[in-house]
Amino acid sequence: MSAIVNLRVFRNFQQFVSFRPISNYPTSLNKNAEVQNVEDDDFRALELRPNKSNNMRGNRRKTAYKKTPVHPPRSNKMPVDQDWPSVWPVARVFHPASVPLPLHQGWVEPGITPPGKFANAELMKIPNFLHLTPPAIERQCAALKKFCTEWPKELDTDEKIDHHFPIQITTSDYLHSSPTIRDARARIVTLQVKLSTLHLNSHAKDKLLRLVKERYDPITDILTIVSERCPLRKQNLDYAMYLLNVLVSESWKTEPWENEKSEADMEKYVWEGSQSQRTLQQLLERMPDKAPVLPEDIEQYSTNVTRFHNEGETTENVNTYKESVKKLLGLNA
Amino acid sequence: MLRLTASITSSNIIVPQLRQFHASAVCCKLQSGRYKITPKRDRPLTYEMANPPYYIAHRKSWNSWDTTSLLDGQRAAETSVEDVFIRRFMTGTWHDLFCSEIIIKRQHNLIRIAGILRQGIPSRKMYFLIGYSEELLANWLQCPVKLELQTVENKEATVFKHI
Repeated sequence: MSAIVNLRVFRNFQQFVSFRPISNYPTSLNKNAEVQNVEDDDFRALELRPNKSNNMRGNRRKTAYKKTPVHPPRSNKMPVDQDWPSVWPVARVFHPASVPLPLHQGWVEPGITPPGKFANAELMKIPNFLHLTPPAIERQCAALKKFCTEWPKELDTDEKIDHHFPIQITTSDYLHSSPTIRDARARIVTLQVKLSTLHLNSHAKDKLLRLVKERYDPITDILTIVSERCPLRKQNLDYAMYLLNVLVSESWKTEPWENEKSEADMEKYVWEGSQSQRTLQQLLERMPDKAPVLPEDIEQYSTNVTRFHNEGETTENVNTYKESVKKLLGLNA
Repeated sequence: MLRLTASITSSNIIVPQLRQFHASAVCCKLQSGRYKITPKRDRPLTYEMANPPYYIAHRKSWNSWDTTSLLDGQRAAETSVEDVFIRRFMTGTWHDLFCSEIIIKRQHNLIRIAGILRQGIPSRKMYFLIGYSEELLANWLQCPVKLELQTVENKEATVFKHI
């Protein structure tokens, strides 16, 4: 009963296990086999020193199974207009029987054909993009389209975007080929805002710049706050927004000790109350009144001196300063 | 040389401990990944074996691909140890069946193991071994593992030249 079942099973898998009497010593059975092999010749071969026959244990493989015939590669039967994304849907190591291309890979001396695609480990090593052919990408984009929303039509210029969304927050995500998804650098949050959007008066702006120091870039007028002291990105984001709020509110407040700001603390040259103005007044009082000095000359002189101090020495500044001094003193040289 | 001295004021005896090691002249000989020519010129070499290590990135490619060697790539040591383990496991599980090196590619969470096998066992056993390897490796390495193997009639198909 069981034997019949076994046979059925074997037939399905086309495997035949032959039951042969196994023995280490040459028996009469073996001798018969040898005799039968030499039937074609006239004479029997006399073996003075019989070598190990093929039935000995060392020469026999355990179950010399009948190898199932391997099918030819399916690339032979692939139609030219087949749906390639169905054949190669995901990233996969190169499989030569599935790719209907005659590829060769390997360095050989000139004149020799490089190794073919079968049994070529080099072709398997390199990354292939057979899963990202243009039709596959189109399908993926079409599938993703329903999750996308349109860009609002009203935001068509950069100025409008800056006007409506003045604060810019930058975060980074990191991917690794490992079982863990954690990366410590992902918690860093960078907040950037243009100071012109904050609408500060001169005192508030001066105070803010002193508080913020090197985080302000005068060329682009952008204040950058980088927050990485908290372990989570959300915490860092909240902290950066809190910092911005605190900076603005503090810069609008005036502390009583700010009145002690002296000329040495001034961030830029201011004409009113400066030593230059005082000396000019004294000079004008003591100078013989040849012609009354026009107030616009004084004003011009004051602007030129301010420019000279704030912008530094350039030939243009020096020339205008010279002209204004000449006008003041009434010299026409 | 390691010499321990105790203070003389104490009653301990000073016991010098000298350890030296003997160094011979340096033999600057490179011998990794190179195979010697046989008198009969019948030693079979695969393409990988025929190209010595200085041809990596010129005529050969790497066997394991992951992000650990990039700038600020994490987990380089653990990944290398895992690679060694995977290669030993595969060579042992598929006994005497691998005709090429074992190629390991990592993509995000997924480990893809590739190689060329000899058709030495029936395909039914091969399917079992594929499932067995994928399951156990995924359990040990704690991430999905996929085997992408190619089979070949016999070892001669992978032989590139005879040396």
